[in-house]
Amino acid sequence: MTVLSTRARAVAGLLIGYALGSLTGPVLAADDTVDFGADYVPTVFITGANRGLGLEFVKQYADRGWNVIATSRRPEAAEQLQAIASRHKDLVTIEQLDVTDNDRIAFLAEKYTDTPIDVLLNNAGISGGNANQLLGKMKFDVFEEVLRVNTIAPMKISEEFLENVKASRDKKIITVSSSEGSIAGATMPRLYFYRSSKAAVNMLMKNLALQVKRRGVSVAMVNPGPTDTDFMAGLPKKMLRPTEDAVSDMIRNIDGLTVETTGSFFQYDGTIIPW
Amino acid sequence: MDKDQGLELGRREFIASVAGFAAGVVASSAAPAAAAGLDPLPAPIEKKTTVLITGANRGLGFEFARRYAERGWRVIATCRRPSGADALNELAAQSADVLVEQLDVVDHQRIDDLAARYRNMPIDVLLNNAGIGGGAENQLFGRLNYDVYRQVMDVNASGPIKMAEAFSKHVKASDLKKIITVSSSQGSISKVNLPMLYWYRSSKSAVNMLMVNLALQVRRRGIIVGLVTPGATATDFIAPRFRKAIPNIREPAVAVADMMRNIDRFTLENTGTFLNYDGGIVPW
Repeated sequence: MTVLSTRARAVAGLLIGYALGSLTGPVLAADDTVDFGADYVPTVFITGANRGLGLEFVKQYADRGWNVIATSRRPEAAEQLQAIASRHKDLVTIEQLDVTDNDRIAFLAEKYTDTPIDVLLNNAGISGGNANQLLGKMKFDVFEEVLRVNTIAPMKISEEFLENVKASRDKKIITVSSSEGSIAGATMPRLYFYRSSKAAVNMLMKNLALQVKRRGVSVAMVNPGPTDTDFMAGLPKKMLRPTEDAVSDMIRNIDGLTVETTGSFFQYDGTIIPW
Repeated sequence: MDKDQGLELGRREFIASVAGFAAGVVASSAAPAAAAGLDPLPAPIEKKTTVLITGANRGLGFEFARRYAERGWRVIATCRRPSGADALNELAAQSADVLVEQLDVVDHQRIDDLAARYRNMPIDVLLNNAGIGGGAENQLFGRLNYDVYRQVMDVNASGPIKMAEAFSKHVKASDLKKIITVSSSQGSISKVNLPMLYWYRSSKSAVNMLMVNLALQVRRRGIIVGLVTPGATATDFIAPRFRKAIPNIREPAVAVADMMRNIDRFTLENTGTFLNYDGGIVPW
């Protein structure tokens, strides 16, 4: 038994060292805690901010007086986002970003290198279209595209902006996932690629939560529930929740996140969604 | 959305291809095989319990091939480079029921060609065994190699669902009707407690979801879908320096015997579940 536990400790130590070895910088100790002061204005970085949930996130965070870095693929076409930005000139900054463009992500991380980001909000997502993910007619290039947007991008953005998050007060990395990504919750066959991309990103973010916890960074997935946005076009309105409610619910769950609850997947009502 | 849309279309295509074959017309599904030079199998095909195994040249896959052949099953053993698969070729030389086929599971055209070649052979167990780890050094946070992620997803997630899509008709035509994927407890989101192997783990969560969806979809056709895990096993998959550090690392023969027992246990009652090597359920 002793031999086994010694070997178990050895392998655990080896794996931890290996996994954590890539992180630079010291572990945050309790007495290193920075006093951010009462005047501190937190910052949220939002992807896919031109419409739907992303746009509503911009609205609600700006109304709270937060700095908002709002990204979208084509800012010139994002009229509603521009309108919000002109109402909150001092708070809202628009940046062009296609989340599948790793070079652009790195460029923005460099540009904002001195800006603490309290909430890094991976909101951008695509479904891939129902017709492309039917058994017998699966389009695997669509799967790759769905993975690039829903799974790879949140990971890459988290990797590039971790230092910004660590330098902030709230230190949160949030990904808008979906209850469709709950393997335990799947009861009807549909949306193979979309669901798989969400299960995959849930695993990546759970891993990330374990990785950055001792740096005081918390990581979570939030689920808006079925919401009345372009994403759900075609579903009867009575099945859908208003965008304002979906976003205020998600923000409440983001506010409530701590390092104790890091790595969880929050339903809009605050309950935990099983994997 | 209509959950049966894909199902119905698949059935129509199948009927059309069978009708075309019977009438001596080359059906669309048969065309790629001819184009790729894959000859149809010599007829008649003797009825025999059949398993198709991917990644059958070494490790767990080879052990599966050996054990199923011992059971007297017909084994369609696929691997990327049959020319280098000495042990598998030796096994095939000893038994006419072991058929070696070249297949890289990222090559979807080749999958379709093989499905066309074996279109008249029922496959009782489609065994998605091929998998890659991606290398621990490519999945360290801060140095994540995204090209490797695509490869890992192509092999571990897209490969199995493409195989299932291409061979579902063969499985449906069989007696046992099972589609099995070798997953990993590393794909259990609720169980992970140390940060590592981002890509590998994520690919296994992804394939778990795909297979649960598949289970829900094909259940009413009588097809059973299952996920199995071997536990940490002493194969080339785990580098020797890590193998030594893992307490209770399992031998391939033991891991495969356990998985075969679990594959036998899959029925329509427990379709869509993830069975640990000890027979317990692995949580998602």
